[in-house]
Amino acid sequence: MIKLENVTKIYKNDVVALREANADIQKGEFVFLVGPSGSGKSTFIRLLNHEEQPDRGRIFVAGKDIGKLSHWKVPYLRRNIGCVFQDFKLLPNKTVAQNVAFALEVIGRPKHVVRTQVPAILELVGLAHKAKNMPNELSGGEQQRVSIARAFVNRPLILLADEPTGNLDPSTSVGIMRLLDRINRTGTTVVMCTHDAGIVDTMRRRVIELDHGTIVRDQDRGVYG
Amino acid sequence: MALKVDYVAREVGSNLRRNVTLTLASVITVFVSLALVGVAFLTRTGVQNATQRWQGGVEFIVFMQPAASEDQISAVQEALDESPQVDSVDFIDQQEAYEEFTDLFADSPEMIQSVTPEILPPSFRVEPTDKDVDVIRALGSEFESKPGVKQVVFAAEAIRTLQDFSRLLSLGLFSGALVLLGAAVLLILNAIRMAMFARRREIEVMKLVGATNWFIRVPFMVEGLVQGLVGALLAIPAVIGIINFIESKLTDTETINLFQGFAVHSSEQFGVAILLLVVGCLVGVIGSFVAVTRFLDV
Ligand SMILES: Nc1ncnc2c1ncn2[C@@H]1O[C@H](COP(=O)(O)OP(=O)(O)OP(=O)(O)O)[C@@H](O)[C@H]1O
Ligand SMILES: [Mg+2]
Repeated sequence: MIKLENVTKIYKNDVVALREANADIQKGEFVFLVGPSGSGKSTFIRLLNHEEQPDRGRIFVAGKDIGKLSHWKVPYLRRNIGCVFQDFKLLPNKTVAQNVAFALEVIGRPKHVVRTQVPAILELVGLAHKAKNMPNELSGGEQQRVSIARAFVNRPLILLADEPTGNLDPSTSVGIMRLLDRINRTGTTVVMCTHDAGIVDTMRRRVIELDHGTIVRDQDRGVYG
Repeated sequence: MALKVDYVAREVGSNLRRNVTLTLASVITVFVSLALVGVAFLTRTGVQNATQRWQGGVEFIVFMQPAASEDQISAVQEALDESPQVDSVDFIDQQEAYEEFTDLFADSPEMIQSVTPEILPPSFRVEPTDKDVDVIRALGSEFESKPGVKQVVFAAEAIRTLQDFSRLLSLGLFSGALVLLGAAVLLILNAIRMAMFARRREIEVMKLVGATNWFIRVPFMVEGLVQGLVGALLAIPAVIGIINFIESKLTDTETINLFQGFAVHSSEQFGVAILLLVVGCLVGVIGSFVAVTRFLDV
């Protein structure tokens, strides 16, 4: 599903964020990206999403070399990839349901799809009763559920999560991880950056560890450190 | 991909409301610059219409009193015919003058109603053999004192006045309009940039979930288009009002000799209205297109 071949990413300020990285992630896998701050985890994710382009090497997503993707096809790549962030990125002037619906509307999904998919996904993340609330009326955990609902409502093949529990307390984080696990069980490939050792150690999934842009460990059923 | 009309309308509406002052500034600038363009065009057209009867080498016109007697008219006719300096003479009797008048003012029946053939002056359009200004002036002046003659109007004078006036006016208006149109493009560009800034969160999410570039851009471009269009829609009635005002000032029966022809047909007004609409839309689209391509990148 995801394949990196000798990927190097150097930012304009000569920071080598990723160095000769190789990884092969199968469909339906759940992968943790760990490593100290600045080791290149977010860069890894942004490369998959075509937010950044590698300086060397090739990246395949769903069988396609995304380095060869023409400009106008990038949005179609992104429809196969859901993204979740530490800061949720919800629209403050839209209700929970509208935030989720927005993701479908802007990719031109017909109204009847929006009408059926939005309540279904809110049910899945356990927020059906808050559909009409505004984001600022929700707790952090609930807001993250909304953002996961938005990322997943289009049933992407891949879910990328950059420190989704970074702003949440441990018990709320567990709830979020259950949700991501559930999404993973539907066959969705999940790649998640985290600093949360507890989560990595209890989930026991594949762990890729980065250090100064280099992959120093790639371990099935791994632990944090 | 389906870009839904109601979605675009909703986005544009809320953007325009959010940015009232900037939108207003753009619209007013488009309005003023297009009004200048329109007035410039229509004055040019009006002057061209006005100078139409001076075509074919006619250098001066001897206007008779409307009440001039047959004898007086034929005396002048004879004098003109006999003069070796006169190449050809065209006599326009009251009925012909009236027909020309009704033709020119086909659009304003109230003008036509205010005039009857009896009050219009019959006239001789004279084409002299010698085109020298002084010779023509001397020749024309001979007729000024003849009984029954109301006035002699010289083409050189009349046309030069009119054409200078029209050239200067339209040149001034056009260059002012050009500067303002440039300002309008920049204002619209800025208004759209502000609109995009206000919506940066939405835009970020749209990119994230895979909205196409055009899906993101079109509402902003429509917003620019609307600003240009509204400016044009305001400019059109203003221009037509100004032109009608000028017409009414210039065509009262006192100054009829010189400006009789200053009239703009409705088909010409329609043409200018279309021109203004097109230019207004272009200004809006160009301004917003530059904004979305410069400041909205995947
Ligand atoms: N847009 C950018 N321009 C320049 N340098 C960048 C940019 N983004 C990241 N970097 C640098 O690249 C390196 C890797 O950054 P990255 O954000 O991938 O780290 P990270 O592992 O996600 O860190 P954290 O755990 O703190 O989120 C860092 O040294 C960072 O300063
Ligand atoms: Mg990071």
